Amino acid sequence: MELFFIFVAIVLTQNFVLHFFLGICPFLGVSDEMEGAFGMGIATTFVMTLTAIITWNINTFILKAFNVEFLEYVSFILVIASLVQLVEMFLKKYLPELYETLGIYLPLITTNCAVLGLALFMVLREYNFVESAIFGFGAGVGFTLALVIMAGIRGELNEEDIPKPFRGTAITLLVAGLLALAFMGFSGLVPT
Amino acid sequence: MFGPVVIISASTMAGLGLLFAGLLGFAHTKLKVEEDPEVTEIEDILPGLDCGACGYPGCHQLAKGVAEGEAPPDSCVPGGEEVAENIADLLGLEVSSEPGRMKLAVVHCGAGNEEKKRVGQYEGVESCRTAELTTGGNMKCEYGCLGYGDCARACPFDAIEMVNGLPKIDPDACTACGECVETCPRDIIVIEELDLEGDFVKVACNSKDEGSAVREKCDVGCIACGLCEQVGPEEVFSVEGNLSRMNYSEYGEDADFDMAIDKCPTGCIVLFPSPEEASETD
Repeated sequence: MELFFIFVAIVLTQNFVLHFFLGICPFLGVSDEMEGAFGMGIATTFVMTLTAIITWNINTFILKAFNVEFLEYVSFILVIASLVQLVEMFLKKYLPELYETLGIYLPLITTNCAVLGLALFMVLREYNFVESAIFGFGAGVGFTLALVIMAGIRGELNEEDIPKPFRGTAITLLVAGLLALAFMGFSGLVPT
Repeated sequence: MFGPVVIISASTMAGLGLLFAGLLGFAHTKLKVEEDPEVTEIEDILPGLDCGACGYPGCHQLAKGVAEGEAPPDSCVPGGEEVAENIADLLGLEVSSEPGRMKLAVVHCGAGNEEKKRVGQYEGVESCRTAELTTGGNMKCEYGCLGYGDCARACPFDAIEMVNGLPKIDPDACTACGECVETCPRDIIVIEELDLEGDFVKVACNSKDEGSAVREKCDVGCIACGLCEQVGPEEVFSVEGNLSRMNYSEYGEDADFDMAIDKCPTGCIVLFPSPEEASETD
């Protein structure tokens, strides 16, 4: 039950994008098309899950064991950057189509603050291994959910006659804000 | 000299770094993708600017496109004739572009600092994109050059200089890569293909307002009177959507623009320097 709550919390009530406002740049940048948004979401989910698993091990067996927890930022960034590289190589080899579609977004996952945020939250909340893995996967699912919803809304907005001052960036930010408000409706789903 | 903490953290980071480096190195050899050697050779010839003027995201993708026969060998805009010929040689193809013509970025606004009519004051960031995004700047004209020089900053070849509130394009340095076209929030700059032997003439206006509105907002704007259609070379000028536009493919070296330049009531049909003239004035 505990694990289920962790998952629901990170997907709905404490969604990285809509609750913590982390990873806003891909959220606004890649959400103009459904296909790109979904691909980005899946790639990020993969990186997040692996990041959670690997950083938990590094944190527990290396950093804590040697009493050098202050290295968490540096070592976590190292893990994330290496993972993204690995994912890139893997996709290039086995899924060249997806690799072409994602293009520049793929290396940009490295600088997605939601991924680093995930690793740091995990340490802060003192999750155990299984909890961390669920947390990482859930964070990715939540990120994908936010991106896909946003892409859907923006797809509809393209057809609408928006007042001139609100066009472009303004309406996108307004929608993002409203979406965050809507997600507040989920609070209370998970007992704190 | 060093405390144990320094040594432990240094060796931890070094160990982790080595571990991941080894992992990635191993993955690199395992997951290496065999590239078509032709693609690599073409990529070596390309300038490697990744400017995107060819329509592909970068030089690598263009090299792939050329190797697969999707793109012609002269697709690279900044590379010019030299690159096109080298690629054509490599692939045993012919370069198809016509000699004696050049592509060039043309600025369709003629309102310098004195001519720009303003309302109120703009105190924001000195950037065209910001001004256009927030209040549209403080210019009366909604179509004209804002003059903050985003295009000059975007140009990878230093071919644009802001002179008196207008971008001045150096035809020798311009490679028609299209970065400025992309950057300009008001779409004032357009890539045109000009005849090197003919006159370099342009309609220096971008306003789609009606004649009376243009009169009120600018002294040198196109009022769409249509005189140029009548007195200019045949089929070259056409007034559409309250704006005169030139069809550069419709005239050769002997076209006479004197009448059109002379008769335009607001003087927005202007000559601008060709590469030859530009190097003479230097």
